[in-house]
Amino acid sequence: MRRVAVIGVGVTKFGRHERTSAELFAEAAADALADAGLPASAVQALYYGNVVGGETEKQLHTGPQAASVLGIPTVPTTRFETACASSHAAFRHAVMEVGAGVSDVVLVGGAERVLNVTTEESTEYFAYASDARWEQTLGLTFPGVFALVARAHMTRYGTTEEQMAAVAVKNHKHGTLNPKAQFQKEITLEQVLGSARVADPLKLYDCCPFTDGGAAVVIAAEEVARKARRPIWVLGSAAASDWMLLGDKRDLSRIPATERAAAAAYRQAGLGPHDVDVVELHDCFTIAEIVATEGLGLFEPGTGGVAAEKGWTSLGGKIPVNPSGGLKAKGHPIGATGAAQIAEVVTQLRADAGARQVDGARIGLTHTLGGNTATVLVSLFGRD
Amino acid sequence: MTEPVVTQQKFFEQARQGQLTAVRCGRCGALAIPPKQFCPECSQRAWEPTSLSGRGTIASYTVIRVAPRGHAGEVPYAIAAVQLEEGVSMLGRVVDIPLETLAVGLPVRFRPLTYNGQTTVGFGPR
Ligand SMILES: [Zn+2]
Repeated sequence: MRRVAVIGVGVTKFGRHERTSAELFAEAAADALADAGLPASAVQALYYGNVVGGETEKQLHTGPQAASVLGIPTVPTTRFETACASSHAAFRHAVMEVGAGVSDVVLVGGAERVLNVTTEESTEYFAYASDARWEQTLGLTFPGVFALVARAHMTRYGTTEEQMAAVAVKNHKHGTLNPKAQFQKEITLEQVLGSARVADPLKLYDCCPFTDGGAAVVIAAEEVARKARRPIWVLGSAAASDWMLLGDKRDLSRIPATERAAAAAYRQAGLGPHDVDVVELHDCFTIAEIVATEGLGLFEPGTGGVAAEKGWTSLGGKIPVNPSGGLKAKGHPIGATGAAQIAEVVTQLRADAGARQVDGARIGLTHTLGGNTATVLVSLFGRD
Repeated sequence: MTEPVVTQQKFFEQARQGQLTAVRCGRCGALAIPPKQFCPECSQRAWEPTSLSGRGTIASYTVIRVAPRGHAGEVPYAIAAVQLEEGVSMLGRVVDIPLETLAVGLPVRFRPLTYNGQTTVGFGPR
Protein backbone atom coordinates (compact mmCIF):
# COMPACT_ATOMS: atom_id res chain seq x y z
CA MET A 1 0.00 0.00 0.00
CA ARG A 2 1.16 3.53 -0.78
CA ARG A 3 1.47 6.08 2.01
CA VAL A 4 -1.53 8.40 2.24
CA ALA A 5 -1.79 11.86 3.79
CA VAL A 6 -4.51 14.33 4.65
CA ILE A 7 -3.59 17.55 2.81
CA GLY A 8 -6.68 19.69 3.38
CA VAL A 9 -9.50 20.02 5.89
CA GLY A 10 -12.72 22.04 6.12
CA VAL A 11 -15.59 22.18 8.60
CA THR A 12 -18.72 24.35 8.63
CA LYS A 13 -19.94 26.03 11.76
CA PHE A 14 -21.95 23.40 13.64
CA GLY A 15 -25.47 24.23 14.80
CA ARG A 16 -28.66 25.23 13.01
CA HIS A 17 -28.50 26.01 9.31
CA GLU A 18 -31.14 26.95 6.75
CA ARG A 19 -29.21 25.09 4.07
CA THR A 20 -29.37 21.59 2.62
CA SER A 21 -26.83 18.99 3.70
CA ALA A 22 -25.37 19.07 0.18
CA GLU A 23 -24.79 22.83 0.51
CA LEU A 24 -23.21 22.34 3.93
CA PHE A 25 -20.89 19.69 2.55
CA ALA A 26 -19.97 21.87 -0.44
CA GLU A 27 -18.90 24.70 1.88
CA ALA A 28 -16.68 22.37 3.91
CA ALA A 29 -15.28 20.77 0.74
CA ALA A 30 -14.43 24.15 -0.79
CA ASP A 31 -12.53 25.05 2.38
CA ALA A 32 -10.73 21.69 2.36
CA LEU A 33 -9.69 22.11 -1.29
CA ALA A 34 -8.47 25.66 -0.65
CA ASP A 35 -6.49 24.35 2.32
CA ALA A 36 -5.00 21.64 0.08
CA GLY A 37 -4.16 24.20 -2.58
CA LEU A 38 -5.96 22.13 -5.21
CA PRO A 39 -8.73 22.97 -7.68
CA ALA A 40 -11.96 20.96 -7.54
CA SER A 41 -10.93 19.40 -10.87
CA ALA A 42 -8.10 17.57 -9.05
CA VAL A 43 -10.61 15.39 -7.16
CA GLN A 44 -10.77 11.86 -8.58
CA ALA A 45 -13.44 10.39 -6.30
CA LEU A 46 -15.85 11.43 -3.54
CA TYR A 47 -16.52 9.24 -0.51
CA TYR A 48 -19.51 10.72 1.28
CA GLY A 49 -21.23 10.14 4.62
CA ASN A 50 -24.89 10.95 5.17
CA VAL A 51 -27.32 9.12 7.42
CA VAL A 52 -30.89 10.41 7.73
CA GLY A 53 -31.12 12.37 4.46
CA GLY A 54 -33.86 9.99 3.36
CA GLU A 55 -35.94 11.02 6.36
CA THR A 56 -35.16 14.68 7.10
CA GLU A 57 -34.64 15.86 3.52
CA LYS A 58 -36.51 13.14 1.61
CA GLN A 59 -33.25 12.72 -0.24
CA LEU A 60 -31.48 9.53 -1.22
CA HIS A 61 -28.56 9.33 -3.66
CA THR A 62 -26.89 12.06 -1.60
CA GLY A 63 -23.40 11.27 -2.94
CA PRO A 64 -23.93 12.49 -6.51
CA GLN A 65 -26.16 15.26 -5.18
CA ALA A 66 -23.31 16.56 -3.01
CA ALA A 67 -20.84 16.21 -5.90
CA SER A 68 -23.20 18.11 -8.20
CA VAL A 69 -23.73 20.97 -5.76
CA LEU A 70 -19.96 21.14 -5.36
CA GLY A 71 -19.62 21.27 -9.16
CA ILE A 72 -17.75 18.00 -9.77
CA PRO A 73 -20.63 15.84 -11.06
CA THR A 74 -18.56 13.31 -13.01
CA VAL A 75 -16.32 11.86 -10.27
CA PRO A 76 -17.18 8.39 -8.97
CA THR A 77 -19.19 8.97 -5.79
CA THR A 78 -20.45 6.64 -3.10
CA ARG A 79 -22.53 7.41 -0.04
CA PHE A 80 -21.52 5.52 3.09
CA GLU A 81 -23.95 4.78 5.89
CA THR A 82 -22.66 3.25 9.11
CA ALA A 83 -24.87 5.39 11.35
CA CYS A 84 -22.82 8.01 13.21
CA ALA A 85 -19.53 6.59 11.91
CA SER A 86 -20.45 7.12 8.24
CA SER A 87 -17.82 9.62 7.15
CA HIS A 88 -15.11 7.81 9.11
CA ALA A 89 -16.04 4.62 7.23
CA ALA A 90 -15.93 6.67 4.02
CA PHE A 91 -12.47 7.86 5.04
CA ARG A 92 -11.13 4.35 5.61
CA HIS A 93 -12.32 3.22 2.19
CA ALA A 94 -10.93 6.35 0.53
CA VAL A 95 -7.55 5.68 2.16
CA MET A 96 -7.66 2.16 0.71
CA GLU A 97 -8.47 3.55 -2.76
CA VAL A 98 -5.51 5.92 -2.65
CA GLY A 99 -3.28 3.40 -0.91
CA ALA A 100 -4.06 0.83 -3.59
CA GLY A 101 -3.08 3.25 -6.36
CA VAL A 102 -6.56 3.58 -7.87
CA SER A 103 -6.66 7.37 -7.30
CA ASP A 104 -4.15 10.00 -6.21
CA VAL A 105 -6.51 12.64 -4.80
CA VAL A 106 -9.82 11.81 -3.10
CA LEU A 107 -12.34 14.02 -1.33
CA VAL A 108 -13.94 12.54 1.81
CA GLY A 109 -16.56 13.97 4.09
CA GLY A 110 -20.17 14.12 5.05
CA ALA A 111 -23.05 16.30 6.10
CA GLU A 112 -26.32 16.08 7.97
CA ARG A 113 -29.45 18.14 8.34
CA VAL A 114 -31.71 17.31 11.31
CA LEU A 115 -32.75 20.54 13.01
CA ASN A 116 -35.41 21.04 10.33
CA VAL A 117 -37.54 18.32 11.99
CA THR A 118 -38.92 17.96 15.53
CA THR A 119 -36.99 16.24 18.34
CA GLU A 120 -39.58 13.43 18.36
CA GLU A 121 -38.97 12.83 14.66
CA SER A 122 -35.18 12.97 14.86
CA THR A 123 -35.26 10.68 17.93
CA GLU A 124 -37.23 8.20 15.82
CA TYR A 125 -34.90 8.48 12.81
CA PHE A 126 -31.76 8.03 14.91
CA ALA A 127 -33.36 4.95 16.49
CA TYR A 128 -33.49 3.39 13.00
CA ALA A 129 -29.84 2.52 13.66
CA SER A 130 -31.07 -0.12 16.11
CA ASP A 131 -32.91 -3.25 14.94
CA ALA A 132 -36.38 -2.50 13.56
CA ARG A 133 -38.18 -5.64 14.75
CA TRP A 134 -36.36 -6.51 17.97
CA GLU A 135 -35.41 -3.11 19.42
CA GLN A 136 -37.29 -0.22 17.79
CA THR A 137 -40.60 -1.93 18.63
CA LEU A 138 -39.64 -1.62 22.31
CA GLY A 139 -39.32 2.16 22.00
CA LEU A 140 -35.55 1.97 22.41
CA THR A 141 -33.82 5.29 21.74
CA PHE A 142 -30.22 6.25 21.13
CA PRO A 143 -29.89 7.66 24.68
CA GLY A 144 -31.55 4.44 25.83
CA VAL A 145 -28.78 2.33 24.29
CA PHE A 146 -26.10 4.29 26.14
CA ALA A 147 -28.17 4.38 29.31
CA LEU A 148 -27.99 0.56 29.29
CA VAL A 149 -24.21 0.82 28.80
CA ALA A 150 -24.01 3.38 31.62
CA ARG A 151 -26.00 1.27 34.10
CA ALA A 152 -23.85 -1.76 33.30
CA HIS A 153 -20.64 0.27 33.75
CA MET A 154 -21.88 1.77 37.02
CA THR A 155 -22.83 -1.68 38.31
CA ARG A 156 -19.59 -3.36 37.33
CA TYR A 157 -17.08 -0.61 38.14
CA GLY A 158 -18.83 1.83 40.45
CA THR A 159 -18.77 4.63 37.88
CA THR A 160 -20.87 7.55 39.12
CA GLU A 161 -23.22 10.09 37.58
CA GLU A 162 -20.79 12.79 38.80
CA GLN A 163 -17.96 11.20 36.80
CA MET A 164 -20.14 11.17 33.68
CA ALA A 165 -21.08 14.79 34.34
CA ALA A 166 -17.37 15.67 34.53
CA VAL A 167 -17.06 14.64 30.87
CA ALA A 168 -19.79 17.10 29.88
CA VAL A 169 -18.24 19.92 31.93
CA LYS A 170 -14.82 19.27 30.37
CA ASN A 171 -16.08 19.10 26.78
CA HIS A 172 -18.16 22.25 27.19
CA LYS A 173 -15.07 24.00 28.52
CA HIS A 174 -13.09 22.84 25.47
CA GLY A 175 -15.98 23.96 23.25
CA THR A 176 -15.57 27.56 24.41
CA LEU A 177 -12.19 27.49 22.64
CA ASN A 178 -13.62 26.31 19.31
CA PRO A 179 -15.32 28.99 17.20
CA LYS A 180 -17.00 26.28 15.06
CA ALA A 181 -18.64 24.60 18.09
CA GLN A 182 -22.42 24.54 18.49
CA PHE A 183 -22.12 25.37 22.21
CA GLN A 184 -19.51 27.82 23.40
CA LYS A 185 -20.51 28.19 26.99
CA GLU A 186 -19.24 26.51 30.12
CA ILE A 187 -21.58 24.43 32.26
CA THR A 188 -21.30 23.29 35.86
CA LEU A 189 -21.46 19.83 37.39
CA GLU A 190 -24.65 20.88 39.17
CA GLN A 191 -26.27 21.94 35.88
CA VAL A 192 -25.51 18.54 34.34
CA LEU A 193 -26.76 16.60 37.38
CA GLY A 194 -29.88 18.76 37.62
CA SER A 195 -30.80 18.67 33.93
CA ALA A 196 -33.93 16.94 32.65
CA ARG A 197 -33.87 13.15 32.61
CA VAL A 198 -33.77 11.65 29.11
CA ALA A 199 -33.07 7.94 29.65
CA ASP A 200 -32.06 7.15 33.24
CA PRO A 201 -29.29 7.49 34.32
CA LEU A 202 -28.59 9.86 31.39
CA LYS A 203 -29.76 13.43 31.61
CA LEU A 204 -30.01 16.12 28.97
CA TYR A 205 -26.45 17.37 29.51
CA ASP A 206 -25.09 13.83 29.25
CA CYS A 207 -26.29 13.84 25.63
CA CYS A 208 -24.82 15.47 22.56
CA PRO A 209 -27.19 17.78 20.68
CA PHE A 210 -28.88 17.41 17.32
CA THR A 211 -26.77 19.35 14.83
CA ASP A 212 -26.65 20.49 11.22
CA GLY A 213 -23.22 20.68 9.64
CA GLY A 214 -20.69 19.44 7.14
CA ALA A 215 -17.04 18.41 7.15
CA ALA A 216 -14.53 17.44 4.48
CA VAL A 217 -10.93 16.31 4.13
CA VAL A 218 -8.75 15.91 1.05
CA ILE A 219 -6.46 12.90 1.03
CA ALA A 220 -3.62 12.25 -1.38
CA ALA A 221 -0.94 9.76 -2.28
CA GLU A 222 2.58 10.45 -1.00
CA GLU A 223 3.81 11.84 -4.34
CA VAL A 224 1.08 14.52 -4.35
CA ALA A 225 1.19 15.03 -0.59
CA ARG A 226 4.92 15.83 -0.63
CA LYS A 227 4.08 18.94 -2.68
CA ALA A 228 1.35 20.02 -0.25
CA ARG A 229 2.11 22.60 2.40
CA ARG A 230 1.44 20.56 5.52
CA PRO A 231 0.63 16.88 4.96
CA ILE A 232 -0.48 14.84 7.95
CA TRP A 233 0.13 11.15 7.40
CA VAL A 234 -2.47 8.44 7.86
CA LEU A 235 -0.64 5.87 10.01
CA GLY A 236 -3.54 3.45 10.37
CA SER A 237 -7.28 3.21 9.74
CA ALA A 238 -9.35 0.27 10.91
CA ALA A 239 -12.98 -0.75 11.30
CA ALA A 240 -14.66 -3.32 13.52
CA SER A 241 -18.23 -4.47 13.94
CA ASP A 242 -20.24 -6.23 16.60
CA TRP A 243 -23.63 -7.85 17.10
CA MET A 244 -26.48 -5.64 15.94
CA LEU A 245 -28.70 -6.58 18.90
CA LEU A 246 -27.64 -5.34 22.32
CA GLY A 247 -29.13 -8.53 23.75
CA ASP A 248 -26.49 -10.55 21.86
CA LYS A 249 -23.67 -8.70 23.60
CA ARG A 250 -22.22 -10.47 26.61
CA ASP A 251 -21.11 -7.42 28.58
CA LEU A 252 -22.75 -4.04 28.08
CA SER A 253 -20.08 -2.28 30.15
CA ARG A 254 -17.63 -2.68 27.26
CA ILE A 255 -17.68 -1.85 23.57
CA PRO A 256 -15.63 -4.65 22.00
CA ALA A 257 -15.74 -3.10 18.51
CA THR A 258 -13.72 -0.17 19.88
CA GLU A 259 -11.16 -2.57 21.33
CA ARG A 260 -10.85 -4.50 18.05
CA ALA A 261 -10.68 -1.43 15.80
CA ALA A 262 -8.10 0.18 18.09
CA ALA A 263 -5.95 -2.96 18.17
CA ALA A 264 -5.97 -3.13 14.36
CA ALA A 265 -5.17 0.57 13.92
CA TYR A 266 -2.33 0.45 16.47
CA ARG A 267 -0.93 -2.64 14.71
CA GLN A 268 -1.01 -0.92 11.29
CA ALA A 269 0.76 2.12 12.73
CA GLY A 270 3.22 0.17 14.88
CA LEU A 271 2.08 2.28 17.81
CA GLY A 272 0.34 1.82 21.15
CA PRO A 273 -1.96 3.92 23.32
CA HIS A 274 0.98 5.53 25.12
CA ASP A 275 2.24 7.04 21.86
CA VAL A 276 -0.92 9.08 21.35
CA ASP A 277 -0.81 12.81 22.17
CA VAL A 278 -4.31 13.95 21.22
CA VAL A 279 -7.62 12.13 20.82
CA GLU A 280 -10.93 13.03 19.20
CA LEU A 281 -13.39 10.33 20.23
CA HIS A 282 -17.07 9.60 20.00
CA ASP A 283 -18.72 11.19 23.05
CA CYS A 284 -22.30 10.98 21.79
CA PHE A 285 -23.07 10.51 25.49
CA THR A 286 -20.80 11.14 28.45
CA ILE A 287 -20.61 7.44 29.27
CA ALA A 288 -19.53 6.78 25.67
CA GLU A 289 -16.40 8.88 26.24
CA ILE A 290 -15.60 6.99 29.44
CA VAL A 291 -15.98 3.57 27.81
CA ALA A 292 -14.06 4.71 24.70
CA THR A 293 -11.05 5.93 26.70
CA GLU A 294 -10.91 2.44 28.23
CA GLY A 295 -11.45 0.60 24.92
CA LEU A 296 -8.71 2.63 23.22
CA GLY A 297 -6.31 1.55 25.97
CA LEU A 298 -5.78 5.08 27.32
CA PHE A 299 -6.99 3.94 30.76
CA GLU A 300 -7.60 0.58 32.40
CA PRO A 301 -11.14 -0.85 32.17
CA GLY A 302 -13.26 0.74 34.88
CA THR A 303 -11.04 3.79 35.38
CA GLY A 304 -12.33 6.03 32.57
CA GLY A 305 -14.69 7.78 34.98
CA VAL A 306 -11.91 8.49 37.44
CA ALA A 307 -9.76 9.85 34.61
CA ALA A 308 -12.48 12.30 33.59
CA GLU A 309 -13.09 13.38 37.19
CA LYS A 310 -9.39 13.99 37.85
CA GLY A 311 -8.95 16.09 34.71
CA TRP A 312 -6.56 13.63 33.03
CA THR A 313 -8.50 14.02 29.76
CA SER A 314 -8.70 17.82 29.87
CA LEU A 315 -6.48 20.16 27.86
CA GLY A 316 -3.24 20.20 29.85
CA GLY A 317 -4.00 16.75 31.33
CA LYS A 318 -2.22 13.41 30.77
CA ILE A 319 -3.98 12.76 27.46
CA PRO A 320 -6.29 15.50 26.18
CA VAL A 321 -9.53 14.06 24.81
CA ASN A 322 -11.84 16.04 22.56
CA PRO A 323 -10.07 19.40 22.57
CA SER A 324 -12.62 20.46 19.92
CA GLY A 325 -15.41 20.17 22.50
CA GLY A 326 -16.32 16.73 21.19
CA LEU A 327 -19.74 15.75 19.97
CA LYS A 328 -21.09 17.08 23.26
CA ALA A 329 -20.20 20.76 22.71
CA LYS A 330 -18.90 20.97 19.15
CA GLY A 331 -22.06 19.18 17.99
CA HIS A 332 -22.88 15.94 16.17
CA PRO A 333 -24.08 16.24 12.56
CA ILE A 334 -23.95 12.48 12.32
CA GLY A 335 -22.88 12.04 8.69
CA ALA A 336 -20.14 14.67 9.12
CA THR A 337 -18.80 13.70 12.52
CA GLY A 338 -16.02 11.29 11.51
CA ALA A 339 -14.57 13.75 8.99
CA ALA A 340 -14.88 16.61 11.49
CA GLN A 341 -12.91 14.61 14.06
CA ILE A 342 -10.19 13.95 11.48
CA ALA A 343 -10.14 17.66 10.59
CA GLU A 344 -9.61 18.53 14.27
CA VAL A 345 -6.76 16.05 14.75
CA VAL A 346 -5.08 17.26 11.54
CA THR A 347 -5.42 20.85 12.81
CA GLN A 348 -3.88 19.80 16.13
CA LEU A 349 -0.96 17.99 14.47
CA ARG A 350 -0.29 21.06 12.32
CA ALA A 351 -0.12 23.07 15.59
CA ASP A 352 -2.89 25.22 14.16
CA ALA A 353 -5.54 24.84 16.87
CA GLY A 354 -5.01 28.18 18.60
CA ALA A 355 -6.39 28.39 22.14
CA ARG A 356 -7.24 24.68 22.21
CA GLN A 357 -3.86 23.49 20.91
CA VAL A 358 -2.39 20.40 22.58
CA ASP A 359 1.24 21.41 22.97
CA GLY A 360 3.71 19.39 20.96
CA ALA A 361 1.14 16.91 19.59
CA ARG A 362 2.84 14.53 17.15
CA ILE A 363 0.46 11.54 17.07
CA GLY A 364 -3.33 11.87 16.99
CA LEU A 365 -6.20 9.37 17.10
CA THR A 366 -9.81 9.57 15.96
CA HIS A 367 -12.53 7.18 17.10
CA THR A 368 -16.06 7.13 15.72
CA LEU A 369 -18.86 4.84 16.83
CA GLY A 370 -21.93 3.91 14.82
CA GLY A 371 -25.36 3.80 16.41
CA ASN A 372 -25.90 0.91 18.78
CA THR A 373 -22.12 0.21 19.19
CA ALA A 374 -22.14 -2.24 16.25
CA THR A 375 -19.70 -0.16 14.16
CA VAL A 376 -16.45 1.48 15.27
CA LEU A 377 -13.67 3.11 13.27
CA VAL A 378 -10.29 4.15 14.61
CA SER A 379 -7.60 6.04 12.68
CA LEU A 380 -4.13 7.22 13.64
CA PHE A 381 -2.33 10.24 12.24
CA GLY A 382 1.19 11.64 12.48
CA ARG A 383 3.11 14.65 11.29
CA ASP A 384 6.46 14.61 9.50
CA MET B 1 -32.38 -25.95 2.06
CA THR B 2 -31.27 -22.91 3.98
CA GLU B 3 -34.60 -21.77 5.36
CA PRO B 4 -34.06 -20.81 9.01
CA VAL B 5 -35.06 -23.35 11.64
CA VAL B 6 -37.08 -20.66 13.41
CA THR B 7 -38.04 -17.61 11.35
CA GLN B 8 -38.65 -14.25 12.98
CA GLN B 9 -42.33 -14.59 12.18
CA LYS B 10 -42.45 -18.04 13.84
CA PHE B 11 -40.61 -16.66 16.88
CA PHE B 12 -43.20 -13.96 17.41
CA GLU B 13 -46.11 -16.35 16.75
CA GLN B 14 -44.80 -18.51 19.59
CA ALA B 15 -44.02 -15.45 21.70
CA ARG B 16 -47.69 -14.44 21.42
CA GLN B 17 -48.52 -17.78 23.07
CA GLY B 18 -46.13 -16.93 25.91
CA GLN B 19 -43.31 -19.13 24.64
CA LEU B 20 -39.70 -17.92 24.16
CA THR B 21 -38.04 -19.98 21.43
CA ALA B 22 -34.28 -20.25 21.00
CA VAL B 23 -32.13 -22.58 18.91
CA ARG B 24 -29.41 -24.92 20.17
CA CYS B 25 -26.48 -25.98 18.02
CA GLY B 26 -26.51 -29.76 17.47
CA ARG B 27 -22.74 -29.64 16.90
CA CYS B 28 -21.33 -27.55 19.76
CA GLY B 29 -24.33 -26.96 22.03
CA ALA B 30 -24.31 -23.14 21.71
CA LEU B 31 -27.64 -21.46 22.37
CA ALA B 32 -28.91 -18.51 20.30
CA ILE B 33 -31.86 -16.16 20.65
CA PRO B 34 -33.07 -14.73 18.39
CA PRO B 35 -32.25 -17.60 16.03
CA LYS B 36 -29.36 -17.15 13.59
CA GLN B 37 -28.48 -18.81 10.31
CA PHE B 38 -25.02 -20.06 11.35
CA CYS B 39 -23.71 -20.93 14.79
CA PRO B 40 -21.45 -18.04 15.84
CA GLU B 41 -19.36 -20.50 17.89
CA CYS B 42 -18.67 -23.29 15.36
CA SER B 43 -20.01 -21.86 12.05
CA GLN B 44 -22.15 -24.95 11.52
CA ARG B 45 -25.84 -25.00 10.71
CA ALA B 46 -27.23 -27.72 12.89
CA TRP B 47 -29.82 -25.92 14.96
CA GLU B 48 -32.64 -27.51 16.94
CA PRO B 49 -35.45 -25.32 18.27
CA THR B 50 -35.67 -25.23 22.05
CA SER B 51 -38.10 -23.59 24.45
CA LEU B 52 -36.72 -21.37 27.19
CA SER B 53 -38.19 -21.00 30.67
CA GLY B 54 -38.64 -17.24 30.28
CA ARG B 55 -37.05 -16.68 33.69
CA GLY B 56 -34.16 -14.28 33.99
CA THR B 57 -32.63 -11.39 35.88
CA ILE B 58 -32.09 -7.76 34.90
CA ALA B 59 -28.50 -7.17 33.70
CA SER B 60 -29.03 -3.48 32.89
CA TYR B 61 -32.02 -1.19 32.56
CA THR B 62 -33.11 2.32 31.67
CA VAL B 63 -36.24 4.40 32.02
CA ILE B 64 -37.00 6.18 28.74
CA ARG B 65 -38.41 9.67 29.26
CA VAL B 66 -37.92 11.14 25.78
CA ALA B 67 -39.47 8.71 23.32
CA PRO B 68 -39.42 8.31 19.57
CA ARG B 69 -42.54 9.49 17.74
CA GLY B 70 -44.41 6.16 17.80
CA HIS B 71 -44.00 5.72 21.56
CA ALA B 72 -44.40 9.29 22.81
CA GLY B 73 -47.66 8.51 24.64
CA GLU B 74 -46.06 5.72 26.68
CA VAL B 75 -43.40 7.59 28.69
CA PRO B 76 -41.95 6.94 31.16
CA TYR B 77 -41.25 3.30 30.34
CA ALA B 78 -38.51 0.85 31.23
CA ILE B 79 -36.34 -1.24 28.92
CA ALA B 80 -34.02 -3.88 30.35
CA ALA B 81 -31.32 -6.22 29.14
CA VAL B 82 -32.34 -9.50 30.73
CA GLN B 83 -29.99 -12.41 31.29
CA LEU B 84 -32.12 -15.52 30.87
CA GLU B 85 -31.40 -18.47 33.13
CA GLU B 86 -30.24 -20.58 30.15
CA GLY B 87 -27.39 -18.07 29.65
CA VAL B 88 -28.52 -15.97 26.66
CA SER B 89 -29.87 -12.44 27.00
CA MET B 90 -32.48 -10.22 25.34
CA LEU B 91 -33.80 -6.70 25.53
CA GLY B 92 -37.42 -6.25 26.55
CA ARG B 93 -39.94 -3.77 27.90
CA VAL B 94 -40.42 -4.09 31.67
CA VAL B 95 -44.01 -3.89 32.89
CA ASP B 96 -45.86 -4.19 36.22
CA ILE B 97 -42.74 -3.39 38.23
CA PRO B 98 -42.60 0.10 39.83
CA LEU B 99 -39.89 2.08 38.03
CA GLU B 100 -38.23 3.13 41.30
CA THR B 101 -37.75 -0.51 42.35
CA LEU B 102 -35.91 -1.54 39.18
CA ALA B 103 -32.45 -2.91 39.94
CA VAL B 104 -29.71 -4.97 38.38
CA GLY B 105 -30.20 -8.56 39.51
CA LEU B 106 -33.99 -8.26 39.88
CA PRO B 107 -35.72 -11.52 38.86
CA VAL B 108 -38.18 -11.16 35.97
CA ARG B 109 -40.21 -13.39 33.68
CA PHE B 110 -40.97 -13.17 29.96
CA ARG B 111 -44.36 -12.06 28.76
CA PRO B 112 -45.53 -11.01 25.31
CA LEU B 113 -46.57 -7.39 24.86
CA THR B 114 -48.19 -5.52 21.99
CA TYR B 115 -47.25 -2.00 20.92
CA ASN B 116 -48.48 -0.35 17.74
CA GLY B 117 -50.03 -3.69 16.72
CA GLN B 118 -46.78 -5.67 16.97
CA THR B 119 -45.86 -8.38 19.45
CA THR B 120 -42.72 -7.48 21.36
CA VAL B 121 -40.62 -9.01 24.10
CA GLY B 122 -41.68 -7.98 27.57
CA PHE B 123 -40.73 -8.89 31.10
CA GLY B 124 -42.80 -8.69 34.26
CA PRO B 125 -42.36 -9.79 37.86
CA ARG B 126 -41.58 -13.48 38.49
ZN1 LIG C 1 -22.14 -24.57 17.13
